[in-house]
Amino acid sequence: MYCMVHLQYIYLGQNIINMYAAENVKSQMRKGTLEYCILLLLKKEAAYTSDIIQKLQEAKLIVVEGTLYPLLTRLKNSELLGYQWVESTQGPPRKYYKLTQKGEFFLNELEASWQDLTNTINHIRNN
Amino acid sequence: MKKTLTVNLGGTVFHIDEDAYQLLEKYLSNLRIHFSKEEGVDEVMGDFELRISEILNERVRLGYTVITIEHVEAVIRQMGKVEDIFGEESAHTEATSHETTAQPGRERVNKRFFRNPDDRMLGGVCGGLAAYMGWDPTPIRLLLFLLLFFYGITIPIYLVLWLVVPLAQTATEKLQMRGESVTVENIGKTVTDGFEKMSANVKDYVNSDKPRTAFQKVADAFVEVIGVLLKVAAVLLGIVLFPMLLVLLFVFIVVILALIIGSVGGGFGLLYHLMPSAEWQFLHHYPEWLWAIFSICSILVIALPVIAILYTVCSHIFKFKPFPPALRGALILLWFIALAANIYLLSRYGGTFWDWSHHTWNHTWWSTAFW
Repeated sequence: MYCMVHLQYIYLGQNIINMYAAENVKSQMRKGTLEYCILLLLKKEAAYTSDIIQKLQEAKLIVVEGTLYPLLTRLKNSELLGYQWVESTQGPPRKYYKLTQKGEFFLNELEASWQDLTNTINHIRNN
Repeated sequence: MKKTLTVNLGGTVFHIDEDAYQLLEKYLSNLRIHFSKEEGVDEVMGDFELRISEILNERVRLGYTVITIEHVEAVIRQMGKVEDIFGEESAHTEATSHETTAQPGRERVNKRFFRNPDDRMLGGVCGGLAAYMGWDPTPIRLLLFLLLFFYGITIPIYLVLWLVVPLAQTATEKLQMRGESVTVENIGKTVTDGFEKMSANVKDYVNSDKPRTAFQKVADAFVEVIGVLLKVAAVLLGIVLFPMLLVLLFVFIVVILALIIGSVGGGFGLLYHLMPSAEWQFLHHYPEWLWAIFSICSILVIALPVIAILYTVCSHIFKFKPFPPALRGALILLWFIALAANIYLLSRYGGTFWDWSHHTWNHTWWSTAFW
């Protein structure tokens, strides 16, 4: 009896660890692709932070808004993004982010390596 | 009825309830602590404030003239708790570093020893230890107090722990201190807990979960009295010791100066020049390289703790970041090596020096400055 209970605990524990590991890998994947997605979103047109957040939340890439602000500042500091202040009728002026020239080059490189990655994964999956 | 405050958030003026203000303030300062490692803190914080101001503005337009705590809670939910924002980054490192210690059947908890800011008499060391071990703090305090009568063992132990153990500042650290897992629900609890604790009496909160027996109450009262007495004693001691500290500082500077000159080697001529009245004869009894080693080690032995104390004091006042643990470990190791080397040198060569210095005792008191 004791043994069974014990085994069950081990099983439960293993499950928790597995779940934890899967969550971890998933969040790592999300994190890895997040910057790429932001650059993709900003490729077509300049956008306000809330718009970016909304699109990312629809795609379930981020959960809370706060994740994005440090990321955008980091991308801006590495000169991949630029922004300008735009007056708003509903409150304080807003920052509109846009891809810079350097950002476009960077995005093209990312597109290429993303293609590589998907090819590799497809290849492995199909064999 | 509630008191309200007027705040300027991202360039807009808001009327905000006092409790709502405290929660928002705590949230923003917590964020700032976390972002302080990154460049562009001010810009990121500016973005946060602008966005929060925008969200709150919507409420105002809906007709709410005063921002209440519910509004602020909604804002925090939308922006994300501090740990949601940083959770992903830290989750990875924690998972890898604790892979080996994982026990099946138990949720993994990253427990650390922090000083407890919410339950402290002096530095929060006992409170932190109690939280870490899951014990009651009163017996620990009593034990330390009793140890005071064994050659005052408590004093060095307590001071070292006070210096070395960091204070739990963020919600994550407080959870780690108690060994609770860092989850969104727990963080939320801690953030609101901390906020309640600011107004409520700490003791009431700490002991609220279980009633205290009469004996425990007596012990608590006793510890309380001892704590107050110790604080008074520390202040009095500080007043008495202050002039002595100034004198010590002067001697310390002179010694360090002499040691630096000694460590450079060959600078003995300078010493004669600086203090002609002093007896520098003994310097020539030993080879210069020996003096160099001895001087460097002495500087390390004296200066490292002084710097550590100064840095700790400054970091409390100016909110410096504490040393990274690796650097701290290396410095402590360095200090022990220097101390060991000095003890060796003194026991190996010190004897002859001692005889000699006794011999010239009456000549001048300056040579004793080294002793």
